[in-house]
Amino acid sequence: MNEEPKEPARVGQGMDYGEQADVQQVHAAVQREKREPRVGAEPLSIWLIAIYGMAIFFGGAYLGRYSGNFSSGGLDPMGAPPPAKKAVAGPGGGEQAAELSPRDRGKKIFAANCQTCHQANGQGVPGQYPPLAGSEFTTGGSLRPAMIVLKGLQGPVKVKGQQYGTAVMQPWDKTLTDQKIADVLTYERSEWGNNASPVTAEQISALRKELANHPNSFTEPEILAAPEQDLPGGAPAGGAPAKPGEASKPGEPPKPQS
Amino acid sequence: MNATGIPLKEPSVSAAAGATEQLERAYIDASTRVPVLMFYTSAMAWLILGTVLAGFVSFKLHEPDLLSNISFLTWGRVRPAHMNVMVYGWASMAGMGTAIWLMARLCRTVLRYPLLLLAGACFWNLGVLLGVCGILLGDSTGYQWLEFPGYAAIILFVAYTLVVSWAVLMFRYRRGEQIYITQWYLLGAFLWFPWLYAAGQLMLFVVPVQGVLQSAVGWWYANNLLFLWFGAIALGTAYYMIPKVIGRPVYSYHLATIGFWTYALFSSWTGMQRLVDGPFPAWMITASIAAMILAMIPVATVGLNHHMTMQGYFPLMRYSPTLRFTVFGAMSYTVFSVVGLLISLRSVAGYVNFTQTSIAYSHLGLYAFFTMVIFGAMYYIVPRLVGREWRYASLIKLHFWASAYGIGLMTLMLLAGGFLQGADMENPTLSFSETVETVLPYLRGRSLAGILLTAAHFIFAYHFGLMLLGLGRTSTVPTFLNPVEAEETSGGH
Amino acid sequence: MKGLAPLFLGIFGTFAFSWVGLTVLPNWQIGHLNPQSDEEGTDIYPQPQSGMFERGARVYAANGCIYCHSQQVRPAYAAADIERKWGDRRSAPRDYIFERPVFLGKMRMGQDLANIGARAPAEQASPAPTGAAPPGGSPSGGTSPAASPAPQGGAPAAASPAAKQSPNPSPATQGASPGLAGSPATASSSAAAAVASSPAAPQGSSSPPAGAPPPGPKKGLASPSPAAATNATPGGTTAPSSGAQTAGPPWPIQTIGEPPMYSAAWHHVHLYSPRSINLDSNMPAYRFLYKKRRISDARSVDALQLTGSDAPPEGWEVVPTYDAKCLVAYMMALNQSHPLNEAKSAGGAPPAAASPAVSPGPAAAGSPAPAR
Repeated sequence: MNEEPKEPARVGQGMDYGEQADVQQVHAAVQREKREPRVGAEPLSIWLIAIYGMAIFFGGAYLGRYSGNFSSGGLDPMGAPPPAKKAVAGPGGGEQAAELSPRDRGKKIFAANCQTCHQANGQGVPGQYPPLAGSEFTTGGSLRPAMIVLKGLQGPVKVKGQQYGTAVMQPWDKTLTDQKIADVLTYERSEWGNNASPVTAEQISALRKELANHPNSFTEPEILAAPEQDLPGGAPAGGAPAKPGEASKPGEPPKPQS
Repeated sequence: MNATGIPLKEPSVSAAAGATEQLERAYIDASTRVPVLMFYTSAMAWLILGTVLAGFVSFKLHEPDLLSNISFLTWGRVRPAHMNVMVYGWASMAGMGTAIWLMARLCRTVLRYPLLLLAGACFWNLGVLLGVCGILLGDSTGYQWLEFPGYAAIILFVAYTLVVSWAVLMFRYRRGEQIYITQWYLLGAFLWFPWLYAAGQLMLFVVPVQGVLQSAVGWWYANNLLFLWFGAIALGTAYYMIPKVIGRPVYSYHLATIGFWTYALFSSWTGMQRLVDGPFPAWMITASIAAMILAMIPVATVGLNHHMTMQGYFPLMRYSPTLRFTVFGAMSYTVFSVVGLLISLRSVAGYVNFTQTSIAYSHLGLYAFFTMVIFGAMYYIVPRLVGREWRYASLIKLHFWASAYGIGLMTLMLLAGGFLQGADMENPTLSFSETVETVLPYLRGRSLAGILLTAAHFIFAYHFGLMLLGLGRTSTVPTFLNPVEAEETSGGH
Repeated sequence: MKGLAPLFLGIFGTFAFSWVGLTVLPNWQIGHLNPQSDEEGTDIYPQPQSGMFERGARVYAANGCIYCHSQQVRPAYAAADIERKWGDRRSAPRDYIFERPVFLGKMRMGQDLANIGARAPAEQASPAPTGAAPPGGSPSGGTSPAASPAPQGGAPAAASPAAKQSPNPSPATQGASPGLAGSPATASSSAAAAVASSPAAPQGSSSPPAGAPPPGPKKGLASPSPAAATNATPGGTTAPSSGAQTAGPPWPIQTIGEPPMYSAAWHHVHLYSPRSINLDSNMPAYRFLYKKRRISDARSVDALQLTGSDAPPEGWEVVPTYDAKCLVAYMMALNQSHPLNEAKSAGGAPPAAASPAVSPGPAAAGSPAPAR
């Protein structure tokens, strides 16, 4: 231990741990320190308790008043309950839509669903999203593009001589009605210089039934296996009513259609 | 009349420490030297970098064409870089350094397993470095306060595990039955931070929550970080420094207890008030606002506790740098909380949401409160680690006043500018550009404040560098802020 | 405090309390929302966006756009967002269920972007399926107005949807057209050109921006458009944008020579040189998202139409990088105008009328005789 009594003033000046191995020569800063802090035991003042009370009161009142019934739909702090579902939205737009031509409707559907990949000008993105403008799939018979839109497409595909395949196209059968698919196809087939026949909802509806058992998206060979022809039925279709059904069943070789 | 010549209240017990205590402390200080200095030095480096970035952020806001063609200096990247450097680089490391020293002192045991801390510091530095570079090069995650890309976040996590393991071990080996107030806060901080960080990372990146909840989790994280990590360290430090420097006990144990628990309980529920009127169920937002109201309880409690402890000793602030900074910081805690409450109330928030007032609020918390307390702690601790006293009292004074005026001016500018900006935004007859024009002069004022703060930081960094190089004053007497007067009366620090 | 156990329990408990209350509970309440769909299950909103949108969101995050731009519309009783035409209804949690990261934002040094896609000129917008733009709302018909000089001769009542096929971009009054021909990523270049340059508004104008003669002193959004009247000519345009034309403050001002406000072309110019569009803007210029290169044999379709000191020298053009295109695609898809049950439109707009409209579209919805 330490023989010599220590006095603050005598501790070596300028001492630092580097210089002095013997920590017992405590340096000045530590020397003059006061005791480690400790705590007193004064009681709470009544004013403080009053402040607590006020804080709790106002906090609680605020919480009660502005919490919109603590409901998940209660976006409004004053608490009006959310309106019943089913209210607005939904149909009713149908009538409005009827006033627009199929092409116009299709255009809106395209803008909402297809544009981010195929681009508003139908050019797609090289290597990723095939173009629709001038595409042999879009402008040929309506069967093939309808299949693609309904069930989606994946895997490598060659369009207009370019290879695509890094992206997957989702199926739209669950999210778009027959009318909408028909409209968007009509639009695509008459836009950007394309000039192919329109598509009707009945045609899509028939195709949907036939493809009902086809769970997965199509691949290029399956699409190419389908005949290059329009969907049967529907005024604009023209041409002999052929049965595309067999052609779209997966795995089966296409039957030549009349 | 006591030795200082200042008419002070007599302490109830002798303030001077016994010899064994001194020895014990000397050993402890010696053992903490390398780890704490390592954290402090890293923190200072990040402070300087962060301050430079802050200069870019502030100036580019009103001079947008300044260096605008450089991709890694674009405002949208420099701003998160500045914030993350300050939060995770400067504040966290300086806070950890201080907490380490305090833990060692309060556990009254020498620092064991220093390698854990050294490794922790190294990894933490690496994480922050990678994170900042990542942000500047375009890898920001897009979540505010959590912009560090994953590769940096994981390193921070690893680093922190090392530090918290150390903390737990120290606590295990502590001596003495009583757990002092500071230790509650520090233990809380050490435990809350990893839980917070893990929760934030998990709910945003690993198993992401849906939609707007990401924002909710993000702001829950940010506010909790502010209170449960930074605030806790700062309050714990203040609870040590104030009674230590003046040699009096803390006023009331009961106040301290209530203060601690209400602080933990209520401050942790804040965060959602930043999303007022947003797409959220109203109760979440209101719960946070109510929490801000209830957080006045710990503010009042802690404030009263400190005030009564200091009562009669305020004049000592003229002499002690530590006391000055710490008291400034502690008072700022009150200001920060009150301002925060005022701008969160729904009627006001409608005006000030999306304006510069939230920046004022963040800086009040992180700078006026946390950073000033940490500055005070550094002024106390560093001499004990390097065995020298601070060299220039004038530099300390300059640092204090530049920081104080800087943050004061900044807060004023941003609060005023923000209110005006908000008022204009609420007036739909004014074009949006006009709201920007309204706030621009205040942003210029903020840049001016920034210059003051930059000066303060560079001065402090220089001074700290001198200490590191062993160029401090060799003296038995601490560097008082009014040395001549103090030395005449040969006071004790 | 003596015991370590109570301390630890308390520390854990207070934290757990707030974690459960503020993150777990809300997650239970609004963390598993499904998109809203109508009875047929077809009008689904919102829908996850793919393709360039995702990458654009990453570019948005990487460049810190969130630090100046918010993407949330506050309710009318709380703020003036809706009056500023930043949206026709407040934002709701359901609007964001497919976004990662979600960019609600906390600062507005720049405008709110929640409906920036809806405010684009119609052809270029990819709005959510809905009539969107109920009057007073974010009219996609944006551009329209402008003092289009009298319609150029006969607009063949060209039902041509949206002046799309309008063959020749009549050189229009302003120099916009040539530029527009090159507007990057525009709906269909021809359409854009048509839109842009045809003061022959009524070229079957119809629904979309009633021929939106672009460069006009006025911008559709919220500005009274005397032009609307002129536009509403043949082709029975209902000045679809008329919806948007509720008398309001005369801003923002469409600068002559610029592409139609909030069109993709406009965004590119704005990103490249914000102060060429708005002198008071303090938005940084994102030139590093663009490349300057020599014109090979013809001007690229994507080339930005820059004027004044920003314009590249003869023989050079400025084109966007893929990141820039993705960013703009992202912004063009930002659209919260679809009505939601839980967030009724505030403000006078008769959303119900315009509402569902399966088809996304310009204000036309609800108003008579759109299109054709």
